[in-house]
Amino acid sequence: MADQDRTPGSAERQFTIASALSGATLTTADTSIDYRPIAVMPDVKVVKIGGQSIMDRGRSAVFPLVEEIVAARKQNHHLLLCCGGGTRARHIYAIGSDLEMPTGVLAALGGYVPRQNARMLQMLLARHGGVFILDDDFEKLPLYFNVGCIPVMTGMPPFGYWEKPTKGGRIPENRTDAGVFLSAEFLGVKRAIFVKDEAGLYDDDPKKNPQATFIPRISARELLARDLPDVVVERIVLEYLTRARSCHEVQIVNGLEPGMLTRALAGEDVGSIIYKD
Amino acid sequence: MGKLVADDGRTHIVSPLMQESLVNRSVIASTDSEREFEIMPTVTLVGLGGQSIFDRGREALLPLADEIASLRGQHRMVIGVGGGTRVRHTMSIALDLGLPTGGVAQLVGAMEEANAVLLNALLAKHGSITMQREHFWDLPLYLDNNMIPIAISTPPYHFWEPPPEHGPLPAHGSDFGLFMLAEVLGMQRIIFVKDEDGLYTKDPKQHDDATPIPKTTLAALLADMPEELILDRQLFTAWDRGRHVREVQIINGLKRGALARALAGQDEGTIITKEST
Repeated sequence: MADQDRTPGSAERQFTIASALSGATLTTADTSIDYRPIAVMPDVKVVKIGGQSIMDRGRSAVFPLVEEIVAARKQNHHLLLCCGGGTRARHIYAIGSDLEMPTGVLAALGGYVPRQNARMLQMLLARHGGVFILDDDFEKLPLYFNVGCIPVMTGMPPFGYWEKPTKGGRIPENRTDAGVFLSAEFLGVKRAIFVKDEAGLYDDDPKKNPQATFIPRISARELLARDLPDVVVERIVLEYLTRARSCHEVQIVNGLEPGMLTRALAGEDVGSIIYKD
Repeated sequence: MGKLVADDGRTHIVSPLMQESLVNRSVIASTDSEREFEIMPTVTLVGLGGQSIFDRGREALLPLADEIASLRGQHRMVIGVGGGTRVRHTMSIALDLGLPTGGVAQLVGAMEEANAVLLNALLAKHGSITMQREHFWDLPLYLDNNMIPIAISTPPYHFWEPPPEHGPLPAHGSDFGLFMLAEVLGMQRIIFVKDEDGLYTKDPKQHDDATPIPKTTLAALLADMPEELILDRQLFTAWDRGRHVREVQIINGLKRGALARALAGQDEGTIITKEST
Protein backbone atom coordinates (compact mmCIF):
# COMPACT_ATOMS: atom_id res chain seq x y z
CA MET A 1 0.00 0.00 0.00
CA ALA A 2 1.03 3.62 -0.33
CA ASP A 3 3.96 4.41 1.88
CA GLN A 4 4.30 8.17 1.52
CA ASP A 5 3.67 10.19 4.65
CA ARG A 6 0.27 11.68 5.11
CA THR A 7 0.32 15.22 6.27
CA PRO A 8 -2.59 17.63 6.30
CA GLY A 9 -2.64 19.57 3.09
CA SER A 10 -0.68 16.96 1.15
CA ALA A 11 -3.85 15.17 0.11
CA GLU A 12 -5.28 17.95 -1.99
CA ARG A 13 -6.49 15.49 -4.57
CA GLN A 14 -10.20 15.14 -3.97
CA PHE A 15 -12.77 13.58 -6.27
CA THR A 16 -15.55 16.11 -5.94
CA ILE A 17 -18.73 16.30 -8.01
CA ALA A 18 -19.72 19.91 -8.51
CA SER A 19 -23.25 20.46 -7.21
CA ALA A 20 -25.22 23.09 -5.33
CA LEU A 21 -24.27 21.31 -2.09
CA SER A 22 -20.73 20.18 -2.92
CA GLY A 23 -19.15 22.66 -0.53
CA ALA A 24 -21.83 22.42 2.15
CA THR A 25 -21.29 20.76 5.52
CA LEU A 26 -24.95 19.60 5.46
CA THR A 27 -25.22 20.82 9.03
CA THR A 28 -26.02 24.34 7.93
CA ALA A 29 -29.66 24.80 7.06
CA ASP A 30 -29.34 27.28 4.22
CA THR A 31 -29.08 26.02 0.71
CA SER A 32 -29.02 28.05 -2.47
CA ILE A 33 -31.50 25.66 -4.05
CA ASP A 34 -34.91 26.98 -5.02
CA TYR A 35 -36.95 24.24 -3.37
CA ARG A 36 -40.40 23.72 -4.83
CA PRO A 37 -41.71 20.46 -3.31
CA ILE A 38 -43.87 18.10 -5.30
CA ALA A 39 -46.70 15.97 -3.87
CA VAL A 40 -45.90 12.28 -4.33
CA MET A 41 -49.38 10.72 -4.04
CA PRO A 42 -51.69 13.36 -2.56
CA ASP A 43 -54.95 11.44 -3.16
CA VAL A 44 -54.09 8.45 -0.97
CA LYS A 45 -56.13 8.09 2.23
CA VAL A 46 -53.68 7.26 4.99
CA VAL A 47 -55.64 5.52 7.75
CA LYS A 48 -54.32 4.30 11.05
CA ILE A 49 -56.13 1.38 12.67
CA GLY A 50 -55.53 1.58 16.43
CA GLY A 51 -53.87 -1.30 18.28
CA GLN A 52 -55.24 -1.17 21.81
CA SER A 53 -58.33 0.73 20.69
CA ILE A 54 -59.39 -1.46 17.73
CA MET A 55 -57.31 -4.60 17.11
CA ASP A 56 -57.27 -5.71 20.77
CA ARG A 57 -61.08 -5.65 20.76
CA GLY A 58 -61.10 -8.43 18.20
CA ARG A 59 -64.06 -9.30 16.00
CA SER A 60 -66.61 -6.89 17.50
CA ALA A 61 -64.54 -3.83 16.54
CA VAL A 62 -62.57 -5.08 13.55
CA PHE A 63 -65.26 -6.78 11.43
CA PRO A 64 -67.53 -3.72 11.05
CA LEU A 65 -64.47 -1.63 10.14
CA VAL A 66 -63.42 -4.18 7.53
CA GLU A 67 -66.86 -3.76 5.94
CA GLU A 68 -66.44 0.01 5.80
CA ILE A 69 -62.95 -0.37 4.36
CA VAL A 70 -64.14 -2.73 1.62
CA ALA A 71 -67.03 -0.39 0.76
CA ALA A 72 -64.64 2.56 0.58
CA ARG A 73 -62.35 0.62 -1.72
CA LYS A 74 -65.32 -0.06 -4.04
CA GLN A 75 -65.84 3.70 -4.18
CA ASN A 76 -62.30 3.95 -5.53
CA HIS A 77 -60.67 5.39 -2.45
CA HIS A 78 -56.97 4.58 -2.41
CA LEU A 79 -56.55 3.37 1.16
CA LEU A 80 -53.23 2.82 2.88
CA LEU A 81 -53.94 1.04 6.18
CA CYS A 82 -51.35 1.26 8.95
CA CYS A 83 -51.72 -0.70 12.17
CA GLY A 84 -50.98 0.22 15.76
CA GLY A 85 -49.53 -2.11 18.40
CA GLY A 86 -51.63 -2.31 21.55
CA THR A 87 -51.35 -4.39 24.66
CA ARG A 88 -48.61 -6.73 23.46
CA ALA A 89 -46.47 -3.69 22.66
CA ARG A 90 -47.18 -2.37 26.16
CA HIS A 91 -46.21 -5.74 27.60
CA ILE A 92 -42.85 -5.80 25.81
CA TYR A 93 -42.19 -2.13 26.70
CA ALA A 94 -42.89 -3.03 30.34
CA ILE A 95 -40.45 -5.96 30.34
CA GLY A 96 -37.86 -4.02 28.31
CA SER A 97 -38.07 -1.12 30.76
CA ASP A 98 -37.84 -3.52 33.69
CA LEU A 99 -34.56 -4.81 32.18
CA GLU A 100 -33.38 -1.19 31.72
CA MET A 101 -32.99 -1.61 27.97
CA PRO A 102 -32.23 1.45 25.80
CA THR A 103 -35.10 3.18 24.02
CA GLY A 104 -33.77 2.00 20.64
CA VAL A 105 -34.06 -1.61 21.74
CA LEU A 106 -37.62 -0.98 22.95
CA ALA A 107 -38.47 0.63 19.60
CA ALA A 108 -37.09 -2.39 17.74
CA LEU A 109 -39.02 -4.77 20.00
CA GLY A 110 -42.20 -2.70 19.76
CA GLY A 111 -42.00 -2.96 15.98
CA TYR A 112 -42.95 -6.63 15.93
CA VAL A 113 -46.45 -6.16 17.30
CA PRO A 114 -47.97 -3.72 14.76
CA ARG A 115 -46.55 -5.95 12.02
CA GLN A 116 -48.53 -8.85 13.49
CA ASN A 117 -51.64 -6.68 13.58
CA ALA A 118 -51.09 -5.66 9.95
CA ARG A 119 -50.82 -9.34 9.00
CA MET A 120 -54.07 -10.13 10.84
CA LEU A 121 -55.88 -7.32 9.07
CA GLN A 122 -54.46 -8.45 5.74
CA MET A 123 -55.85 -11.96 6.26
CA LEU A 124 -59.30 -10.46 6.83
CA LEU A 125 -58.99 -8.26 3.75
CA ALA A 126 -57.24 -10.75 1.47
CA ARG A 127 -60.34 -11.70 -0.51
CA HIS A 128 -61.03 -8.00 -1.05
CA GLY A 129 -57.51 -7.23 -2.26
CA GLY A 130 -55.70 -6.67 1.05
CA VAL A 131 -51.91 -7.02 0.68
CA PHE A 132 -49.41 -6.94 3.53
CA ILE A 133 -46.51 -4.66 2.65
CA LEU A 134 -43.15 -3.89 4.21
CA ASP A 135 -41.40 -0.53 4.32
CA ASP A 136 -39.40 -1.57 1.27
CA ASP A 137 -42.63 -2.00 -0.69
CA PHE A 138 -43.63 1.61 -0.15
CA GLU A 139 -42.48 2.53 -3.64
CA LYS A 140 -44.89 -0.06 -5.08
CA LEU A 141 -47.97 1.72 -3.72
CA PRO A 142 -48.97 2.94 -7.23
CA LEU A 143 -49.01 -0.67 -8.40
CA TYR A 144 -51.20 -1.84 -5.51
CA PHE A 145 -53.67 0.98 -6.05
CA ASN A 146 -53.78 0.54 -9.80
CA VAL A 147 -54.77 -3.11 -9.48
CA GLY A 148 -57.36 -2.28 -6.83
CA CYS A 149 -55.53 -3.59 -3.77
CA ILE A 150 -55.68 -2.37 -0.18
CA PRO A 151 -52.09 -2.21 1.15
CA VAL A 152 -51.77 -2.93 4.88
CA MET A 153 -48.58 -2.17 6.78
CA THR A 154 -47.19 -1.41 10.20
CA GLY A 155 -47.67 2.09 11.51
CA MET A 156 -44.28 1.99 13.20
CA PRO A 157 -41.62 4.12 11.50
CA PRO A 158 -38.45 2.17 10.68
CA PHE A 159 -36.23 4.04 13.18
CA GLY A 160 -35.89 0.98 15.43
CA TYR A 161 -32.50 0.88 17.14
CA TRP A 162 -31.89 4.43 15.87
CA GLU A 163 -34.81 5.84 17.90
CA LYS A 164 -33.53 8.69 20.08
CA PRO A 165 -33.35 8.20 23.83
CA THR A 166 -36.51 9.50 25.52
CA LYS A 167 -36.08 12.19 28.14
CA GLY A 168 -37.48 11.12 31.50
CA GLY A 169 -38.54 7.67 30.36
CA ARG A 170 -37.86 4.81 27.99
CA ILE A 171 -40.94 4.48 25.78
CA PRO A 172 -40.02 5.45 22.19
CA GLU A 173 -41.42 8.85 21.22
CA ASN A 174 -41.97 7.80 17.62
CA ARG A 175 -44.50 5.02 17.63
CA THR A 176 -47.30 4.12 15.26
CA ASP A 177 -49.10 7.51 15.31
CA ALA A 178 -45.83 9.18 14.33
CA GLY A 179 -45.13 6.65 11.59
CA VAL A 180 -48.60 7.09 10.10
CA PHE A 181 -48.29 10.87 10.19
CA LEU A 182 -44.86 10.70 8.52
CA SER A 183 -46.22 8.38 5.81
CA ALA A 184 -48.87 10.99 5.01
CA GLU A 185 -46.28 13.77 5.10
CA PHE A 186 -44.02 11.97 2.62
CA LEU A 187 -46.90 11.10 0.29
CA GLY A 188 -48.07 14.71 0.29
CA VAL A 189 -51.44 13.81 1.84
CA LYS A 190 -53.12 16.76 3.53
CA ARG A 191 -55.02 14.88 6.24
CA ALA A 192 -54.13 11.68 8.10
CA ILE A 193 -57.02 9.71 9.65
CA PHE A 194 -56.59 7.94 12.99
CA VAL A 195 -59.23 5.37 13.89
CA LYS A 196 -59.39 4.93 17.67
CA ASP A 197 -62.05 4.07 20.26
CA GLU A 198 -62.96 7.56 21.45
CA ALA A 199 -64.99 10.26 19.71
CA GLY A 200 -61.78 12.23 19.29
CA LEU A 201 -59.59 14.50 21.36
CA TYR A 202 -60.35 15.29 25.02
CA ASP A 203 -58.52 17.45 27.52
CA ASP A 204 -57.77 14.30 29.56
CA ASP A 205 -58.09 10.53 29.10
CA PRO A 206 -61.89 10.05 28.93
CA LYS A 207 -61.46 6.43 30.01
CA LYS A 208 -59.98 7.54 33.33
CA ASN A 209 -61.67 10.93 33.76
CA PRO A 210 -65.41 11.10 32.94
CA GLN A 211 -65.27 14.91 33.32
CA ALA A 212 -62.90 15.22 30.37
CA THR A 213 -64.09 17.77 27.77
CA PHE A 214 -64.31 16.98 24.07
CA ILE A 215 -62.23 19.20 21.75
CA PRO A 216 -63.58 19.07 18.15
CA ARG A 217 -60.96 21.33 16.57
CA ILE A 218 -57.68 22.80 17.80
CA SER A 219 -54.34 23.87 16.37
CA ALA A 220 -51.27 21.80 17.13
CA ARG A 221 -49.51 24.80 18.58
CA GLU A 222 -52.38 25.58 20.95
CA LEU A 223 -52.66 21.94 21.99
CA LEU A 224 -48.94 21.80 22.76
CA ALA A 225 -49.23 25.03 24.74
CA ARG A 226 -52.05 23.60 26.85
CA ASP A 227 -49.61 20.93 27.99
CA LEU A 228 -52.35 18.42 28.85
CA PRO A 229 -51.47 15.41 31.02
CA ASP A 230 -52.74 13.09 28.29
CA VAL A 231 -53.64 13.51 24.62
CA VAL A 232 -55.15 11.10 22.11
CA VAL A 233 -52.13 11.11 19.74
CA GLU A 234 -48.41 10.82 20.37
CA ARG A 235 -47.09 14.22 21.38
CA ILE A 236 -44.33 14.14 18.79
CA VAL A 237 -47.00 14.14 16.07
CA LEU A 238 -48.08 17.58 17.32
CA GLU A 239 -44.50 18.82 17.04
CA TYR A 240 -44.18 17.40 13.52
CA LEU A 241 -47.51 18.98 12.60
CA THR A 242 -46.23 22.46 13.49
CA ARG A 243 -43.47 22.17 10.90
CA ALA A 244 -44.95 19.79 8.31
CA ARG A 245 -44.92 20.82 4.66
CA SER A 246 -47.75 18.62 3.37
CA CYS A 247 -49.79 16.90 6.06
CA HIS A 248 -51.54 19.78 7.79
CA GLU A 249 -54.33 17.93 9.59
CA VAL A 250 -54.79 14.92 11.82
CA GLN A 251 -58.33 13.61 12.18
CA ILE A 252 -59.27 11.29 15.04
CA VAL A 253 -62.47 9.29 14.69
CA ASN A 254 -64.26 6.64 16.72
CA GLY A 255 -64.00 3.35 14.84
CA LEU A 256 -66.56 1.76 17.16
CA GLU A 257 -69.27 4.07 15.86
CA PRO A 258 -70.61 2.71 12.55
CA GLY A 259 -70.11 5.01 9.59
CA MET A 260 -67.54 7.33 11.15
CA LEU A 261 -64.63 6.07 9.06
CA THR A 262 -66.78 6.26 5.93
CA ARG A 263 -67.69 9.87 6.71
CA ALA A 264 -64.09 10.76 7.44
CA LEU A 265 -63.04 9.22 4.12
CA ALA A 266 -65.72 11.33 2.40
CA GLY A 267 -63.96 14.39 3.81
CA GLU A 268 -66.42 15.20 6.58
CA ASP A 269 -65.05 16.91 9.67
CA VAL A 270 -66.24 14.20 12.08
CA GLY A 271 -64.41 13.42 15.29
CA SER A 272 -61.60 15.82 16.20
CA ILE A 273 -59.24 17.67 13.94
CA ILE A 274 -55.83 18.91 15.00
CA TYR A 275 -54.43 21.28 12.41
CA LYS A 276 -51.27 23.15 11.59
CA ASP A 277 -51.59 26.89 12.30
CA MET B 1 -47.17 -11.38 33.49
CA GLY B 2 -49.22 -13.90 31.51
CA LYS B 3 -52.79 -13.12 32.62
CA LEU B 4 -55.39 -11.61 30.31
CA VAL B 5 -57.98 -9.00 31.25
CA ALA B 6 -60.93 -8.13 29.00
CA ASP B 7 -63.26 -6.12 31.23
CA ASP B 8 -63.49 -3.08 28.92
CA GLY B 9 -64.01 -4.80 25.57
CA ARG B 10 -60.29 -4.82 24.79
CA THR B 11 -58.14 -7.80 25.68
CA HIS B 12 -55.14 -6.74 27.75
CA ILE B 13 -52.09 -8.66 28.93
CA VAL B 14 -51.47 -7.86 32.58
CA SER B 15 -48.38 -5.65 32.78
CA PRO B 16 -47.48 -2.34 34.44
CA LEU B 17 -48.41 -0.55 31.19
CA MET B 18 -51.70 -2.40 30.69
CA GLN B 19 -54.64 -0.17 29.72
CA GLU B 20 -52.37 2.84 29.98
CA SER B 21 -52.03 5.67 27.55
CA LEU B 22 -48.38 5.72 26.55
CA VAL B 23 -48.76 9.47 25.98
CA ASN B 24 -49.46 10.09 29.68
CA ARG B 25 -46.47 11.77 31.32
CA SER B 26 -46.62 9.80 34.56
CA VAL B 27 -46.81 6.54 32.64
CA ILE B 28 -43.73 7.51 30.63
CA ALA B 29 -41.91 8.49 33.82
CA SER B 30 -42.72 5.09 35.36
CA THR B 31 -40.43 3.49 32.76
CA ASP B 32 -37.44 5.62 33.70
CA SER B 33 -34.57 4.44 35.87
CA GLU B 34 -31.14 5.62 36.93
CA ARG B 35 -29.24 3.02 35.01
CA GLU B 36 -29.43 1.47 31.57
CA PHE B 37 -28.20 -1.90 30.43
CA GLU B 38 -24.93 -1.77 28.45
CA ILE B 39 -25.07 -4.17 25.53
CA MET B 40 -21.50 -3.91 24.15
CA PRO B 41 -19.64 -1.40 26.32
CA THR B 42 -16.08 -2.28 25.27
CA VAL B 43 -16.54 -1.70 21.55
CA THR B 44 -15.34 1.56 19.96
CA LEU B 45 -17.09 2.98 16.94
CA VAL B 46 -14.80 4.49 14.30
CA GLY B 47 -16.53 6.67 11.69
CA LEU B 48 -14.70 7.37 8.44
CA GLY B 49 -15.75 10.57 6.69
CA GLY B 50 -17.13 10.37 3.18
CA GLN B 51 -15.98 13.64 1.71
CA SER B 52 -13.00 13.95 4.03
CA ILE B 53 -11.56 10.45 3.53
CA PHE B 54 -13.27 8.37 0.82
CA ASP B 55 -13.46 11.11 -1.79
CA ARG B 56 -9.67 11.53 -1.59
CA GLY B 57 -9.18 8.11 -3.09
CA ARG B 58 -6.01 6.05 -2.64
CA GLU B 59 -3.99 8.86 -1.14
CA ALA B 60 -6.12 8.90 1.99
CA LEU B 61 -7.72 5.47 1.91
CA LEU B 62 -4.82 3.09 1.40
CA PRO B 63 -2.72 4.25 4.37
CA LEU B 64 -5.83 4.36 6.56
CA ALA B 65 -6.86 0.86 5.48
CA ASP B 66 -3.30 -0.26 6.32
CA GLU B 67 -3.60 1.29 9.74
CA ILE B 68 -7.00 -0.30 10.40
CA ALA B 69 -5.62 -3.69 9.35
CA SER B 70 -2.64 -3.30 11.70
CA LEU B 71 -4.98 -2.50 14.61
CA ARG B 72 -7.03 -5.62 14.07
CA GLY B 73 -7.22 -7.77 17.14
CA GLN B 74 -5.94 -4.98 19.41
CA HIS B 75 -9.23 -3.14 19.68
CA ARG B 76 -12.84 -4.21 19.46
CA MET B 77 -14.12 -1.77 16.87
CA VAL B 78 -16.85 -1.25 14.32
CA ILE B 79 -16.09 0.91 11.30
CA GLY B 80 -18.81 3.25 10.04
CA VAL B 81 -18.58 4.89 6.62
CA GLY B 82 -19.93 8.15 5.25
CA GLY B 83 -21.08 8.87 1.71
CA GLY B 84 -19.34 12.12 0.76
CA THR B 85 -19.71 14.15 -2.40
CA ARG B 86 -22.11 11.70 -4.04
CA VAL B 87 -24.52 12.26 -1.15
CA ARG B 88 -24.32 16.00 -1.70
CA HIS B 89 -24.91 15.55 -5.40
CA THR B 90 -27.87 13.23 -4.72
CA MET B 91 -29.39 15.78 -2.38
CA SER B 92 -28.90 18.74 -4.68
CA ILE B 93 -30.58 16.94 -7.59
CA ALA B 94 -33.35 15.59 -5.34
CA LEU B 95 -34.09 19.04 -3.92
CA ASP B 96 -34.06 20.61 -7.36
CA LEU B 97 -36.66 18.02 -8.37
CA GLY B 98 -38.74 18.99 -5.34
CA LEU B 99 -38.68 15.54 -3.73
CA PRO B 100 -40.00 15.55 -0.16
CA THR B 101 -37.50 15.38 2.70
CA GLY B 102 -38.33 11.70 3.28
CA GLY B 103 -37.60 11.00 -0.37
CA VAL B 104 -34.18 12.62 -0.03
CA ALA B 105 -33.49 10.59 3.12
CA GLN B 106 -34.46 7.37 1.32
CA LEU B 107 -31.84 7.95 -1.37
CA VAL B 108 -28.62 8.77 0.47
CA GLY B 109 -27.83 5.45 2.18
CA ALA B 110 -26.96 3.85 -1.15
CA MET B 111 -23.96 6.14 -1.58
CA GLU B 112 -22.62 4.98 1.78
CA GLU B 113 -23.20 1.36 0.91
CA ALA B 114 -20.95 1.88 -2.10
CA ASN B 115 -18.21 3.20 0.20
CA ALA B 116 -18.70 0.24 2.56
CA VAL B 117 -18.12 -2.09 -0.38
CA LEU B 118 -14.99 -0.16 -1.42
CA LEU B 119 -13.51 -0.33 2.06
CA ASN B 120 -14.47 -3.96 2.39
CA ALA B 121 -12.68 -4.75 -0.85
CA LEU B 122 -9.53 -3.15 0.60
CA LEU B 123 -9.81 -4.92 3.94
CA ALA B 124 -11.37 -8.28 3.05
CA LYS B 125 -8.03 -10.10 3.28
CA HIS B 126 -7.72 -8.69 6.81
CA GLY B 127 -11.09 -10.07 7.88
CA SER B 128 -13.49 -7.25 7.23
CA ILE B 129 -17.18 -7.78 6.63
CA THR B 130 -19.99 -5.44 5.59
CA MET B 131 -22.74 -5.48 8.16
CA GLN B 132 -26.40 -5.53 7.23
CA ARG B 133 -28.36 -2.66 8.73
CA GLU B 134 -29.55 -3.77 12.15
CA HIS B 135 -27.68 -7.05 12.31
CA PHE B 136 -26.07 -6.01 15.58
CA TRP B 137 -26.51 -9.46 17.01
CA ASP B 138 -23.85 -10.78 14.62
CA LEU B 139 -21.29 -8.44 16.18
CA PRO B 140 -20.10 -10.80 18.95
CA LEU B 141 -19.35 -13.37 16.25
CA TYR B 142 -17.29 -10.90 14.22
CA LEU B 143 -15.48 -9.28 17.12
CA ASP B 144 -14.62 -12.50 18.93
CA ASN B 145 -13.01 -13.66 15.70
CA ASN B 146 -11.02 -10.44 15.27
CA MET B 147 -13.00 -9.42 12.23
CA ILE B 148 -13.58 -5.82 11.19
CA PRO B 149 -17.31 -5.10 10.75
CA ILE B 150 -18.15 -2.20 8.42
CA ALA B 151 -21.51 -0.44 8.81
CA ILE B 152 -23.14 2.41 6.96
CA SER B 153 -23.88 5.56 8.93
CA THR B 154 -27.16 7.11 7.82
CA PRO B 155 -29.99 6.06 10.15
CA PRO B 156 -32.80 4.08 8.47
CA TYR B 157 -35.38 6.87 8.78
CA HIS B 158 -35.97 6.68 5.02
CA PHE B 159 -39.33 7.97 3.74
CA TRP B 160 -40.28 8.59 7.40
CA GLU B 161 -37.67 11.28 8.03
CA PRO B 162 -39.42 13.82 10.29
CA PRO B 163 -40.05 17.32 8.91
CA PRO B 164 -36.85 19.31 9.64
CA GLU B 165 -36.92 22.42 11.79
CA HIS B 166 -35.29 24.46 9.04
CA GLY B 167 -35.06 23.91 5.33
CA PRO B 168 -35.73 20.75 3.35
CA LEU B 169 -32.56 18.73 4.13
CA PRO B 170 -33.01 15.63 6.34
CA ALA B 171 -31.86 16.48 9.87
CA HIS B 172 -30.81 12.94 10.75
CA GLY B 173 -27.54 12.56 8.93
CA SER B 174 -24.69 10.12 9.05
CA ASP B 175 -22.94 11.46 12.17
CA PHE B 176 -26.20 11.23 14.07
CA GLY B 177 -26.77 7.72 12.73
CA LEU B 178 -23.34 6.55 13.89
CA PHE B 179 -23.90 8.12 17.29
CA MET B 180 -27.18 6.24 17.70
CA LEU B 181 -25.54 2.96 16.70
CA ALA B 182 -22.93 3.44 19.46
CA GLU B 183 -25.43 4.70 22.02
CA VAL B 184 -28.01 1.95 21.66
CA LEU B 185 -25.29 -0.70 21.99
CA GLY B 186 -23.92 0.93 25.14
CA MET B 187 -20.57 1.90 23.60
CA GLN B 188 -18.61 4.58 25.41
CA ARG B 189 -16.41 6.00 22.68
CA ILE B 190 -16.78 7.22 19.13
CA ILE B 191 -13.86 8.33 16.98
CA PHE B 192 -14.74 10.39 13.90
CA VAL B 193 -11.99 10.26 11.28
CA LYS B 194 -12.10 13.41 9.16
CA ASP B 195 -9.59 15.60 7.31
CA GLU B 196 -9.12 18.30 9.94
CA ASP B 197 -7.43 18.22 13.34
CA GLY B 198 -10.79 18.15 15.07
CA LEU B 199 -13.18 20.97 15.93
CA TYR B 200 -12.41 24.58 15.18
CA THR B 201 -14.12 27.80 16.17
CA LYS B 202 -15.05 28.19 12.48
CA ASP B 203 -14.73 26.05 9.36
CA PRO B 204 -10.92 26.02 8.84
CA LYS B 205 -11.38 25.35 5.12
CA GLN B 206 -13.03 28.73 4.72
CA HIS B 207 -11.54 30.90 7.47
CA ASP B 208 -7.83 31.47 8.11
CA ASP B 209 -8.49 32.74 11.63
CA ALA B 210 -10.20 29.52 12.75
CA THR B 211 -8.60 28.16 15.92
CA PRO B 212 -8.61 24.50 16.99
CA ILE B 213 -10.46 23.28 20.08
CA PRO B 214 -8.41 20.37 21.49
CA LYS B 215 -10.68 19.65 24.45
CA THR B 216 -14.22 20.63 25.23
CA THR B 217 -17.36 19.28 26.84
CA LEU B 218 -20.77 18.54 25.47
CA ALA B 219 -22.29 21.10 27.84
CA ALA B 220 -19.93 23.82 26.59
CA LEU B 221 -20.73 22.99 22.96
CA LEU B 222 -24.48 22.99 23.58
CA ALA B 223 -24.23 26.36 25.32
CA ASP B 224 -22.18 27.91 22.55
CA MET B 225 -22.51 25.98 19.30
CA PRO B 226 -20.10 27.09 16.53
CA GLU B 227 -21.88 28.32 13.39
CA GLU B 228 -20.21 25.78 11.12
CA LEU B 229 -19.78 22.31 12.51
CA ILE B 230 -17.79 19.32 11.33
CA LEU B 231 -20.50 17.06 12.81
CA ASP B 232 -24.31 16.99 12.54
CA ARG B 233 -26.13 19.19 15.03
CA GLN B 234 -28.61 16.38 15.77
CA LEU B 235 -25.73 14.32 17.16
CA PHE B 236 -25.22 16.75 20.04
CA THR B 237 -28.88 17.00 21.01
CA ALA B 238 -29.23 13.20 20.96
CA TRP B 239 -25.98 12.82 22.94
CA ASP B 240 -27.39 15.18 25.55
CA ARG B 241 -30.20 12.70 26.15
CA GLY B 242 -28.00 9.61 25.84
CA ARG B 243 -26.60 7.58 28.71
CA HIS B 244 -23.63 5.63 27.39
CA VAL B 245 -21.34 7.55 25.08
CA ARG B 246 -18.84 9.40 27.27
CA GLU B 247 -16.39 10.62 24.68
CA VAL B 248 -16.46 11.73 21.06
CA GLN B 249 -13.06 12.24 19.46
CA ILE B 250 -12.53 13.89 16.08
CA ILE B 251 -9.19 13.18 14.44
CA ASN B 252 -7.37 13.83 11.21
CA GLY B 253 -7.28 10.64 9.18
CA LEU B 254 -4.71 12.13 6.80
CA LYS B 255 -2.19 12.04 9.63
CA ARG B 256 -0.36 8.76 9.93
CA GLY B 257 -0.88 7.03 13.27
CA ALA B 258 -3.65 9.35 14.44
CA LEU B 259 -6.21 6.55 14.59
CA ALA B 260 -3.83 4.23 16.44
CA ARG B 261 -3.09 6.96 18.98
CA ALA B 262 -6.76 7.79 19.44
CA LEU B 263 -7.69 4.13 19.92
CA ALA B 264 -4.88 3.85 22.49
CA GLY B 265 -6.60 6.63 24.44
CA GLN B 266 -4.09 9.36 23.63
CA ASP B 267 -4.88 13.03 23.03
CA GLU B 268 -5.35 13.58 19.32
CA GLY B 269 -7.52 16.08 17.48
CA THR B 270 -10.48 17.17 19.56
CA ILE B 271 -11.86 15.26 22.52
CA ILE B 272 -15.41 16.11 23.57
CA THR B 273 -16.43 14.62 26.88
CA LYS B 274 -19.75 14.34 28.60
CA GLU B 275 -19.77 14.66 32.38
CA SER B 276 -21.66 12.04 34.32
CA THR B 277 -25.12 13.26 35.12
